[in-house]
Amino acid sequence: MKTRSTKAAAALAGAMVSVALVATGCSKGADTPADKPAVTEITFWSWLRASQEVTDAFNKTHTDVQVKFEQIPGGAEGYGKLTNAVKAGNAPDVATVEYAMLPDMLAQGNLADVSGDITDLVKSKYPAPIQELVTLGGKTWTVPLDAGAMVMFYRKDLFEQHKIAVPKTWDEFKTAAEAVKKADPKSRITDWNQTDSANFVSLNWQAGAKWFGIEGDSWKVTLDSPESQKVAGYWQDLITKDLVTNVPAEEVQKRKAANQVWTQLGGAWAAGGLKAGLPDQAGKWASAPLPSWDANPASAMVGGSSFGVSKTSKKKDAALTFITWMTTTPEGIQARLASGASSTLPAIPELADVAAKNFDTKFFGGQDIYAVAKAALPTIKTGWVWGPGMRGVFDGIGEQFKLVQTGKQQLPAVYAPVQTKTIEDLKGRGINAS
Amino acid sequence: MPPTRSGLARRQYGVAALFTAPFFLLFFAFTLAPIGYGAWLSLHREQTSGLGLGGEPEQVFVGLDNFTRALTDGRFLGSFATVGVYCLVYIPIMIGIALLLALLLDSVYARAKRFFQLALYLPNIVPGLIAAMIWTYLYTPGLSPIIDALAKVGVPFNLGSDAGAVGAVANLTIWMHTGYNVIIFFAALQAVPREVIEASTVDGAGQIRIAWSVKAPMIRGAVVLAVLFTVIGAMQLFTEPFIVRDAATTIDQAWTPSLYIYQLTKAYDMGGAAAASLILTVVLAVASFLVTRFSKKGAAL
Repeated sequence: MKTRSTKAAAALAGAMVSVALVATGCSKGADTPADKPAVTEITFWSWLRASQEVTDAFNKTHTDVQVKFEQIPGGAEGYGKLTNAVKAGNAPDVATVEYAMLPDMLAQGNLADVSGDITDLVKSKYPAPIQELVTLGGKTWTVPLDAGAMVMFYRKDLFEQHKIAVPKTWDEFKTAAEAVKKADPKSRITDWNQTDSANFVSLNWQAGAKWFGIEGDSWKVTLDSPESQKVAGYWQDLITKDLVTNVPAEEVQKRKAANQVWTQLGGAWAAGGLKAGLPDQAGKWASAPLPSWDANPASAMVGGSSFGVSKTSKKKDAALTFITWMTTTPEGIQARLASGASSTLPAIPELADVAAKNFDTKFFGGQDIYAVAKAALPTIKTGWVWGPGMRGVFDGIGEQFKLVQTGKQQLPAVYAPVQTKTIEDLKGRGINAS
Repeated sequence: MPPTRSGLARRQYGVAALFTAPFFLLFFAFTLAPIGYGAWLSLHREQTSGLGLGGEPEQVFVGLDNFTRALTDGRFLGSFATVGVYCLVYIPIMIGIALLLALLLDSVYARAKRFFQLALYLPNIVPGLIAAMIWTYLYTPGLSPIIDALAKVGVPFNLGSDAGAVGAVANLTIWMHTGYNVIIFFAALQAVPREVIEASTVDGAGQIRIAWSVKAPMIRGAVVLAVLFTVIGAMQLFTEPFIVRDAATTIDQAWTPSLYIYQLTKAYDMGGAAAASLILTVVLAVASFLVTRFSKKGAAL
């Protein structure tokens, strides 16, 4: 008797599960135009500033697609989370991918091939160098948002007060560094940030280094090159002469607040962070082109993001609707900039003007920092390619920086071990590299 | 008619199964299955080909290669050395302080026992992550009043040195875990029969003598258990160095076995990470066996 009732219960439970399965099956099949559901809900992962505001604005103006935004950490943590989620089958529909991380995300198989849907869009709207960043193996993988053209933010008030010329070349930068230290022994021209290696990588790019290249069916990894050595030698000299701060990140922030850090190198997007982090210094900052190695202005890209559809997404069309709106429409850009938190430089030239109009420049004393960033775009050194394993490269360089900070290692020596390790890691993953 | 013997036994069997089933279900789902998956992963390696743009990597069987790689990696072996040094510093100090405080609390002179129990336990309530962040600030020169004060009296604390890093992490974990062990020891002390203590008082033993020669030996079991748990916890050290490394330059990505494993997962080397995890598990099992074995022998003497 007892056994039978257990069996009956099991059968009932089984029946309920299968009903539920059928029900799910129905809603899945509902993508056919005949009974299209009124609203498709998609999820979106990002760490970019103002992502919530962008999502809200989209949801307000769209009825067929609704987006749920989830904040994730940036950097290695965030990409790890995405990789795991794709494996587990619960990844978001829309993922944020920095240009530097695109090859790595492709090697992990995290992104859906949407080239059929976006190639024409990307080819028609974006400048060629930006297109290159999202095109790999002949396919366009993601839709670009911004161009992280590297510039130099500086304390206009302090430079003027002490009559120090704003440096245009790296030679002048060194002279200015000496002048800054002389003007105030507690101040330095900039911080040598050992915990975030992204800026340093881009300084190598600016000098003409090409860390990754494709030779046939194999990656060529060349971190250690004469161009890289030039950059490392220059900065090691500044560190040795105590012309830049060489302290942990927490203390750097404190020194910035105390007016002891006079410039900050960074992508155009870094203006938003500067504004948020140092509200007391409003009106005192300005933006200038990145100092160059010769008289010709040159820049590089640091950061810069694009959006792709994750491999596990079953709502490709809805995801692309949202991505396209975010990246290529004035409304999408306006929503991002209006919050005041983001200083993104849109990769589409016309939209850069929309951004400039929406960015509150009070912090920069009314200066049109977008003009500076836009002018930097065409000066970005061409030929740089991001490769798989950048996560390891950023990490590895960061690890070496720690040794540099304590004086156990000199900057010119940081490349070789990371290069060896990167090639070894790639080979271990079955990727051809040398 | 009373039920037959075998019928009763069978029914009891069913009831027992009903009550133990949830445990075994969870034990299987959250302990055995993950270990099994880990073992499977440890024998495989993710592989793509060509430029790596071909899509999802495949799991390729590599035999014991992941284990050989881990066991021949100097950084992995070095991480055990770090933890060894850390244990030598951390365990005697932490257990020693905890025992001393528990004996003080248990002594006849102790006042406000409840308050001190609570106060000593408080750091343990703070999540490890938060504690590590607070201490990281306290370790950062220029931000920390303590470091600046120490430097002024001529005791510079250099987080950038190897000894400084071990000291910093040990100090943080001692701060966190001492209170917990005080509570354990104090509870054990409460169970020491009062007549034994009275007898020693009658025999003319002073408070210190009683604490050292009577009470401490009688809570030996609790101390051994605390050491065992501490050893196991210490070898899995992760959160504290992970956070403190922002300020401590010598804490690298392979400072402890757990950090080494984490760093492998970041390089998408799940097979290597799984193999290293299993090796760590075996080492932990051996270490706990040795601790219990050693202490049993000691107890028999």
